[in-house]
Amino acid sequence: MQAVKARYDVIVIGGGVAGASVVRELSKYKLTAAIFEKEAEVCFGQTKGTHGIIHSGLPGISSLTPMKNRGELKGNLMMEQLCKDLDVPYEKIGKLLVAFDKEELEYLKKYEFKAKRNGVPGVELITDTQRIRQMEPNLSDKVIAALYTPNTGIVSPWGLVYGLIENAMDNGAELFVEAEVRAISVMENGDFLIETTNGRYQSSYIVNAAGLNADKIANMIGDYSFNMKGTRQQRIIMDKKVEGIVKHLVRGVKATGGLGDFVCPTVYGDVMVGCKVENVSEIGDTRTTREGLEDWVIPRYMRLVPSLSPAMGIRPFAGFIPKEGTDYYVKPSDVNGRFIHMVLGSSGITASPAMGEYVVQELLARAGLELEAKQDFNSYRKDIPHIHDLTDEGKAELVAKNPLYGHIVCRCETVSEGEMVEAIRRGARTRDGIKYRTRSGMGRCQGGFCGPRVLKILSRELGMPMEQITRKGGNSVEVPYKAKELLKKKARGGSW
Amino acid sequence: MSRILNKPVDVAVIGGGPGGIGAAIRAKEDGAKNVVLLERSEELGGMLPQCIHNGFGLHYFKEELSGPAYIHNLLKKMERTGVDVMTHTMAVNLDGTRITALTENSVVDIDAKSVILAMGCRERARGAVRIPGHRPAGVYTAGTAQRLINVEGYLPGRRVVIVGSGDIGMIMARRLTLEGAEVLCLVELLPFIGGLIRNEVQCLRDFNIPVFTSHVVTNVIGKDRVEKIIIAEVDKQRQLIPGSEKEYDADTLLLSVGLIPENELSLLTGVELNPLTGGPFVDDLWQTNVPGLFAGGNVVHVHDLADYVTESSEMAAANAVKFISGSLRTDRKLTVKAGKNIRYVVPNTIISDQPISFYMRVSWPLENATVRIGNIFEKKYTFVRPSEQIRIDIPANKLKEVSDEIVVSCDGEEAIAR
Repeated sequence: MQAVKARYDVIVIGGGVAGASVVRELSKYKLTAAIFEKEAEVCFGQTKGTHGIIHSGLPGISSLTPMKNRGELKGNLMMEQLCKDLDVPYEKIGKLLVAFDKEELEYLKKYEFKAKRNGVPGVELITDTQRIRQMEPNLSDKVIAALYTPNTGIVSPWGLVYGLIENAMDNGAELFVEAEVRAISVMENGDFLIETTNGRYQSSYIVNAAGLNADKIANMIGDYSFNMKGTRQQRIIMDKKVEGIVKHLVRGVKATGGLGDFVCPTVYGDVMVGCKVENVSEIGDTRTTREGLEDWVIPRYMRLVPSLSPAMGIRPFAGFIPKEGTDYYVKPSDVNGRFIHMVLGSSGITASPAMGEYVVQELLARAGLELEAKQDFNSYRKDIPHIHDLTDEGKAELVAKNPLYGHIVCRCETVSEGEMVEAIRRGARTRDGIKYRTRSGMGRCQGGFCGPRVLKILSRELGMPMEQITRKGGNSVEVPYKAKELLKKKARGGSW
Repeated sequence: MSRILNKPVDVAVIGGGPGGIGAAIRAKEDGAKNVVLLERSEELGGMLPQCIHNGFGLHYFKEELSGPAYIHNLLKKMERTGVDVMTHTMAVNLDGTRITALTENSVVDIDAKSVILAMGCRERARGAVRIPGHRPAGVYTAGTAQRLINVEGYLPGRRVVIVGSGDIGMIMARRLTLEGAEVLCLVELLPFIGGLIRNEVQCLRDFNIPVFTSHVVTNVIGKDRVEKIIIAEVDKQRQLIPGSEKEYDADTLLLSVGLIPENELSLLTGVELNPLTGGPFVDDLWQTNVPGLFAGGNVVHVHDLADYVTESSEMAAANAVKFISGSLRTDRKLTVKAGKNIRYVVPNTIISDQPISFYMRVSWPLENATVRIGNIFEKKYTFVRPSEQIRIDIPANKLKEVSDEIVVSCDGEEAIAR
């Protein structure tokens, strides 16, 4: 029998924002913890396709979702400090939920009442259209009222995951990538034995933060209590040229499902518009569709901000929001109390810090995990220095220290080779991993210029041939053949 | 101590492609003392070093050259001119004629008396044309694929669908075929080919590559790497025609869906852009609206030929030198307007009494066409189409009698029903 490679007190399955929040929380205590991700890198699942909006707890407030409500409200209040500690881009921008007619105004009044009852801070119904215009000059002049929530923020979803995991690792947690959990059994002493594609591991507790695959992981211990579902959300990223066209998250009130129609700044200065929310036959299908973009997203966001041209679009994409039932599914398994389910869903990013605390301090503690705080826990983490964000003096200083920071590889987002090398040092193994860590390829040319150069840097730094470098792991090879390779094969009479 | 270096110069050229090199040489030749040429890549030449096909230089060098040979000739010409070449140098800010640039060892403030914008253009990417479906590896712009093959020595795939019939796309259809890959088809939204006729013949027809005009890609399938491409026909309103879908087992999708002048830097200092070209409004001396800021080549409007890129940039440089010495004459102000069937025309204003080259594109293919420059000049063509840029040279004396506005128009029979 294959030997156990290592034993941990807690193994977290899933390297998205849920797992990252838990493992970072665990790293505050004197215990051993590891996080297992099946993809080539962390944040390659549903988290990367989220909009990064930090909700204020409105208007998702429903008596049917007590866990989500609590998570959102508490998570919202924690997010700003967390992002400061972890050097993650975050901005409190506020939200305007807007009404175009009297019927929609009634919705706003209902939400205002609920929000105030539930303690959402600073909520205000604005019917003075002049004031709305002052707040958002490019908003449709047909808007008659807006419900303002100052606490709504925006964050970099992947930035948050990198921040949490890097900080957790700095405090002793371990990360395994390309480690897909294949089977889980229970040992005589009650520990779990976890078979992964990266070897066999042992742990006393498991946190199942596997997102869309959480049901499959649960099945491995004989827990068939839920089936993952979810919704696809299609959106478009707009060129930075329109930065500032809206200052707040602007959202239509009548939209159904998820966040509905919105126009929102991102922490990087682009603008995101959306979104087509829909059920699809294949769970996890993140294809965009012609109908979804042309017939839904574009006309609907343009109703909110008519002057924002679709020609400014640089990247349509779709995310998939996992969902178990109505509320989050965060509880110990009925089959084994040391196995904790942590399935978030819509607004999961907002709730993640609160839910991470809840899972560790409440659920794992109640299940018997001893929590003794580390005296030397370091709550701070520094991001990769981004040349684009520095002053001219700051740029000059960094370049003098390391000339690679003066070599701009991605023109659109001004990303240097130095940032890419540092990203690889921190775990980037793929082009997407570099992209999410540095923004190279996220600009208007979408990697057309920097793409081949990033492949070369990855190949050089990882000591891997170009033909093995992938976009995002798996079979996503970028350049499968050397020039003339096909010709040689043909000349030899072989078929390719 | 500040590490920011200061560099006062006469002329700074931003961009070291066939335009920028030509401009820098000309500025020196015309007497500018300090000329600096800024290039963000590791080498000069812009896109031409990766354009290993021929068709360059017929006009400018009077011989047919490959892209690398064209650049080689230009660089030869630049030897010993004393142009200060800075590669690996990226202009990150522009404030009037003051450039802030990032180099591999410092930040440099370049105080120029005049700046020539020669940043060229970039390819439109998948997101801008909103091709739906998965977002796997295997989707490249044609120029990126060209670099991968011709410079880096790697093939992006072996079963390829090309979307868009721009010149680079057609050239890559041929290039990939010669490399042993299979080009399954080329798909174009418009009812006609978007690139030069010579490329349509030499790169598509000669290799029997199927071409589907009035078609779009409706789906890209494949989570990790492209596995299938679905295309469909559209009607005149660009609505999908049900039942017209075709499916290809492709591993690669190449995009050749247009080029966009790269003016992000220009916008930082308030250069006014023409929405029809994506480039600055320029007068016949290649001046933008910002004093001392000139522009040439593809940053103004996308050219068919590198030769014209070099030529227009040279003229921008010649005028920049005159600007510095105070001898730039502005005798009048004529507005040039794009009239019937003309998509755009450059220049947009005429302020000198020098001979003028008008560059324009028609908005639709026409047969037996007549292009008119106001009522002072007309030229007949058996065939005009948007892909073939029209250039008309007007002697100085012809424009004398025009006073305030000149409309450029084109009449003819529609070659394809709209």
